[in-house]
Amino acid sequence: MTYTLQFGQVTRYLPFLAEGGLISLALAFLAFAGGMVLGLLGAMGRTFGPRAVQRGVQAYVVFFTNTPQLVQIYFLFFVLPEAGILLSPFQAVLLGMTLNAGAYLTEIQRAGFATVPRGELDAAETLGMSLTQSVRLVILPHVVKTLYAPLSNQYIIMVLGTSMAAVFGVEELTGRAFSVNAETFRSVEVFSIVGAMYIVLTLIATLALSVVGRLMFRVRMPTL
Amino acid sequence: MPHGVIEQIPRFLTWYNAAFLLRAASFTLALSAVGSVVGILAGGAIAVLRRTRGWALAPLRGLGTLYVELFRRIPFLVTLLLVFYATQLGGYDMPLFAIGAIAVSLISTAYLAEIVRAGLASVHPNQWHSAAVANFSFMQTLRLVVIPQAWSVVLPPAFGFFIMFLKDTALASQVGVVELTYAGKTLNNRGFAPVLTFGAVLLLYFAMSYPLTLLGRRLEVLVARPRHR
Repeated sequence: MTYTLQFGQVTRYLPFLAEGGLISLALAFLAFAGGMVLGLLGAMGRTFGPRAVQRGVQAYVVFFTNTPQLVQIYFLFFVLPEAGILLSPFQAVLLGMTLNAGAYLTEIQRAGFATVPRGELDAAETLGMSLTQSVRLVILPHVVKTLYAPLSNQYIIMVLGTSMAAVFGVEELTGRAFSVNAETFRSVEVFSIVGAMYIVLTLIATLALSVVGRLMFRVRMPTL
Repeated sequence: MPHGVIEQIPRFLTWYNAAFLLRAASFTLALSAVGSVVGILAGGAIAVLRRTRGWALAPLRGLGTLYVELFRRIPFLVTLLLVFYATQLGGYDMPLFAIGAIAVSLISTAYLAEIVRAGLASVHPNQWHSAAVANFSFMQTLRLVVIPQAWSVVLPPAFGFFIMFLKDTALASQVGVVELTYAGKTLNNRGFAPVLTFGAVLLLYFAMSYPLTLLGRRLEVLVARPRHR
């Protein structure tokens, strides 16, 4: 049995797929932004909070980093409707990805907080700064430079992670690949093109992040 | 809380369901074990290949670099589907577990090649040079000089990667490999409350992953050597 690869039947779907790629980037961005807020709160709670808060944050991080994101989303996807909360697939996936990202980003930002010299925090306290002031004016300017590379790495990982949204019927790049596959039955062609599109997508994201890092924060990252 | 969940618990906690889930969990472990072993061997080979010198191996070096850079940028789900459909082109039926294992190994090789490469790069060039002066062959240098110094740098991220892998194999459920996530979906389809089925699956993943995380942390402390030169 021989099979002839026919990319011609798939190439006319390229614009449709590229649009899906933009949705992937956007989904990753929204989840990343939400995760950064959760992570910042988590890192603050873990570093400065009372013992109970520290324990709570620690439990959140340990649980979410030790279970698969896919199963976390399955859980939300099936359990929330039973509790009367109806979310669209996109919202459910976004919620799951945000909670998951929040755990990883808490860990990354906590590590960043730990790099700030104790003396600077004491100095901030001596100047009468409140906790939010010292986080905003002392800690963050410090850690932005240290954390830029690991954070952009995390964003790239999240762009790849968005592909599991397809499982729940979200029409991002992989989701659209499922649709094109169902229409053309050119499975190998569809998924190799989509694989190549993910490569291009993440390369563009890496490049953009390293340019932004260099211009805004003077961080030098290896481009590849 | 939806009604009926509490009443379902005795019906859910049967030997049959427990055995079903545990068997599925063993497939999750097996899948990640295959990925880890193949990954460390093939990834290590690629990393070593990329350290070689000379024109003869230049094309292979290029291929190795290309492989590592490309496969780390394709989502696992896409690799899985690509392997799934590509193995069907030949016209013979491949067991689903084998398809999962191939996809897992393809990805883990790329990531571990990068981790080992970083480990090899952490050994100071002077070490390579002095070994060359002492007339060590390439393999001797690796075996006697570089690897003893590099492995403590490789171990912590490699271990972290194995744990990440245990969780990523959840995606293999999408091509029908009966691992833990698939088992959870099956029980869910049988009418058990999702809180119970996916809750149990989450707990089982946690029970596998968390001890490994703790072990990884212990190992990290054990192998950490004072870095002064």
